Amino acid sequence: MKTKHLILAALLAVTSVPASAFDLGKFLEDRVNRELNKGKPAQTAPEQSAPAQPPPAPAQTAPVPAQTAAAPQPAKQKVDPTQLGFALFGDYSLDEEIRIGRQIAGNLLGAVPLVRDDTLQRYVNLVGHWVAQQSGRSEVPWRFGVIDTEAINAFAAPGGYVFITKGLYRMLDNEAELAGVLGHEIAHVTKKHHLKVLKQSTLISALGQAASRKVQGSDPAVQNLIGNGAEIMARGLDKSAEYEADRVGIVFAARAGYDPWGLPNVLQGLAGLPSGDNRTSLLYKTHPHAADRLAELGEAVGDRFDGLGGRDVANRFYRLR
Amino acid sequence: MRKILIGTLAALGWAVASVASAATGTVLRDEKLLTQPSATAGVAGSVARGANVTILSKDGGWLRVTAGKTTGWVRLLSVRAGAGGLGGAGIGDVVGAATTRSDPTRVVAVAGLRGLNDEQLKQAKFNADELARMETHGVTTAQASGFAAQSGLAAVKIADLPKPKAEQSTSPWGGE
Repeated sequence: MKTKHLILAALLAVTSVPASAFDLGKFLEDRVNRELNKGKPAQTAPEQSAPAQPPPAPAQTAPVPAQTAAAPQPAKQKVDPTQLGFALFGDYSLDEEIRIGRQIAGNLLGAVPLVRDDTLQRYVNLVGHWVAQQSGRSEVPWRFGVIDTEAINAFAAPGGYVFITKGLYRMLDNEAELAGVLGHEIAHVTKKHHLKVLKQSTLISALGQAASRKVQGSDPAVQNLIGNGAEIMARGLDKSAEYEADRVGIVFAARAGYDPWGLPNVLQGLAGLPSGDNRTSLLYKTHPHAADRLAELGEAVGDRFDGLGGRDVANRFYRLR
Repeated sequence: MRKILIGTLAALGWAVASVASAATGTVLRDEKLLTQPSATAGVAGSVARGANVTILSKDGGWLRVTAGKTTGWVRLLSVRAGAGGLGGAGIGDVVGAATTRSDPTRVVAVAGLRGLNDEQLKQAKFNADELARMETHGVTTAQASGFAAQSGLAAVKIADLPKPKAEQSTSPWGGE
């Protein structure tokens, strides 16, 4: 912790000298590489760029001096130490996580608005919150939304923002299936899959701008971190993260008392769709095929759910108008 | 005479219904076909990975399927529904596109409906009003617990699932 502060102090000192802006970039790069390699047996020397982690591309370091120059009052610009904290060390605080998730969620809603049905939205929040209560992350302010597109998909952003499309919701037959889908998305949040992606990629680009902590509208510093709009949702995760979310999510739903076969049933429904269906094009760009997910989940489940009860709560399931 | 007629009609109706509800699937791993939907049931036969089956019905985590001349129960996660074969990529595209209906319990797919694409996401602009609307729908822990209890849902202790061996060495996501 002390080292962290010392380094931050050093960074702040360096930033006050405009001429050394490029050196700052190099310094940060080294610092980031060391941070990413922390815990690996062969610790690299500070000056060396780490072999295991490709050094950030020039395009990533370029925004630092460019943005400083473009800022209205470059001389007075201060670097927010907290912001540096999350950009450099990857250990996002809950506030930072929510701040990132909020920006992604706001952008996604800019692309697709919520379905105008308060009863539906309320229902999905009740089911989702109950499942999330089994996830062990009670500090997260969970929010769920059904978005108005026929595309078949679901999304999660850090900080507990979870979305399901109207197209996917329409395929569901009961509450246990909804719980299974939401469980998968909740698992992305609890396993911090998107935060790990951010930690791996755009560490330095967030540095150029110092934003106030409380932003009402769009948050420029976070936007800088996450790229264009909500494209982070279109890039997808490593397929092992998707398999993990299936494994973890199915357990969350089962712990909530639901029939554990909700998510598998939804995957069967997806597997049964013709592959030329436009509604699944983005889903399959960012997820392994449902057949592969069923096979992978089958390996993990085996006979472990034999004898497990659970309710499908079909009678209460809210049907779309 | 009338009874026979009704019986015949009923049988016909049943036959039609059976045809309509028959869904195809592919077996994802070598499995036994069991006489009952239970791991301790007798063995009626076996199916090899990649075999095509007809899915007849479902019971919890089990599917009743016909493979060749044998009918029996197999785990839900050992079969994929649809005509796409074993994996997501490859020949499934051609076969899958020709299939309009593979699971009667699901909405019939309509190819051509416009979905959400990555360009839309990339161009998306922050919408503070929609986000505020989403925040207002949030519920509390007490509300969610009360809602769960209304349907008799209670929290159950269930252990985490292990990561399958094949995946353990390749995952970049580190320890759990």
